[in-house]
Amino acid sequence: MELREDRKYTKSHEWVREENGVFEIGLTDYAQSELGDLVFVNLPQEGDPVTVEEAFADVESVKAVSDVYSPVSGTVSEVNEELLDAPEKINESPYDAWLVRVTEVTEQEDLMTAEEYQAFVESNQE
Amino acid sequence: MDRIKKITYAEGAGTDPYRNLAMEELLCQECGENEVILYLWQNQNTVVIGRNQNAWKECRVQLLEQEGGRLARRLSGGGAVFHDLGNLNFTFLAGKEIYSVERQMEVVRIALERLGIQAEKSGRNDILAAGRKISGNAFYKKKDRCCHHGTLMIQVDVEKLSRYLVPSREKLQSKGVDSVASRVLNLADLVPGLTAERLKEALRKAFEQVYGLQAEPLEPGRLDASALQEKAEQYASPEWLYGKALDFQQSLSHRFPWGGVELQLRIQEGMIAEAAVYSDAINTEMIRQLPGVLAGVPYRRSQVCESLAAYQPADEGEKSMLRDIEAWLADGTI
Repeated sequence: MELREDRKYTKSHEWVREENGVFEIGLTDYAQSELGDLVFVNLPQEGDPVTVEEAFADVESVKAVSDVYSPVSGTVSEVNEELLDAPEKINESPYDAWLVRVTEVTEQEDLMTAEEYQAFVESNQE
Repeated sequence: MDRIKKITYAEGAGTDPYRNLAMEELLCQECGENEVILYLWQNQNTVVIGRNQNAWKECRVQLLEQEGGRLARRLSGGGAVFHDLGNLNFTFLAGKEIYSVERQMEVVRIALERLGIQAEKSGRNDILAAGRKISGNAFYKKKDRCCHHGTLMIQVDVEKLSRYLVPSREKLQSKGVDSVASRVLNLADLVPGLTAERLKEALRKAFEQVYGLQAEPLEPGRLDASALQEKAEQYASPEWLYGKALDFQQSLSHRFPWGGVELQLRIQEGMIAEAAVYSDAINTEMIRQLPGVLAGVPYRRSQVCESLAAYQPADEGEKSMLRDIEAWLADGTI
């Protein structure tokens, strides 16, 4: 399982990277491998509000449809439209395939460091 | 070791697809962490498309609606299916720790075995009997709850099924089969006289057998009636049914006695966002005007035909060509 030190993680297997008030959100390597090959991604639109711990997108894999939860409350400032035509990019490089960028963030959930997230995933596998 | 504390059995209250899907979603929300729910339900004359499918590409929507059928969109992925009262749907809902597709499939297999039918799983999504598909399965997850649902064809009107569903040619060709009807099988062909009631009973018994517990009926009042109503309305809303369709291109072409016409339409949120019309016909003023006539019109047959009817070309010959185009589109093309 690949992890990146430059970002934080949620219990629902999203990653967040903040830079100058812009929060980039994606799915972790663990999430993509559990989901299996992705065939479809539904993303919100620019300007849509997102709410902490509520679904803002969903992904369809060969196994199931799953919701993606927002680690923050704020407004979608950018959507990675490339994924709409190429959802497999999430499988290929989950840490580059961000789903949305969120600004005007008013709230965020307790996030984990890479190390904490690794421990969390391992404890869940037992 | 087994963390399952409770198994619950529920049935749909009627044959309205929107209410039935709403009930499924509420059961998914309400399902306990250590609980497995088996929910059985039937829809009358309904095409159910997958979460991310395009209604128009999968289903002859107008024909379906014209014949009193309904279109519904479910939360899980996968392809379009046709339901009537000859079909029984089953849904397993469980907390993610105890959810097991294998075990759930075993319930279905044993239920069928109780009726004398040997069934086997094929791939991730299908169940076969006598080498043909009797059940299609799909899956979704919401927070910590998982849903596995599927169809069971008892005596589905296969003629209607083939009429409403638009099979993907590529898919069929690559599998080397010639029609949907030849790939599917009704269980009543294996067990004459089989009814939904008997199959329900077999499923409930198999459910108890596999989990080793007595199934409790769903407590009345466990689901909030107003939440159910609200959800049902969401499932029936055009926004959910059609608005979900992402931008797509529709290309329609036809050869008339006076020439060929090709319509290329970009559909966005259920509206014709842009239209291009090509024709080798000699009188082309009407053809040039068509993109403007079509742009901004909802992509529904009645509305497209209304817009065409409202446009009156000056030239009599063009007028009659336009009526031909209108008749072509009205005849199940859209």
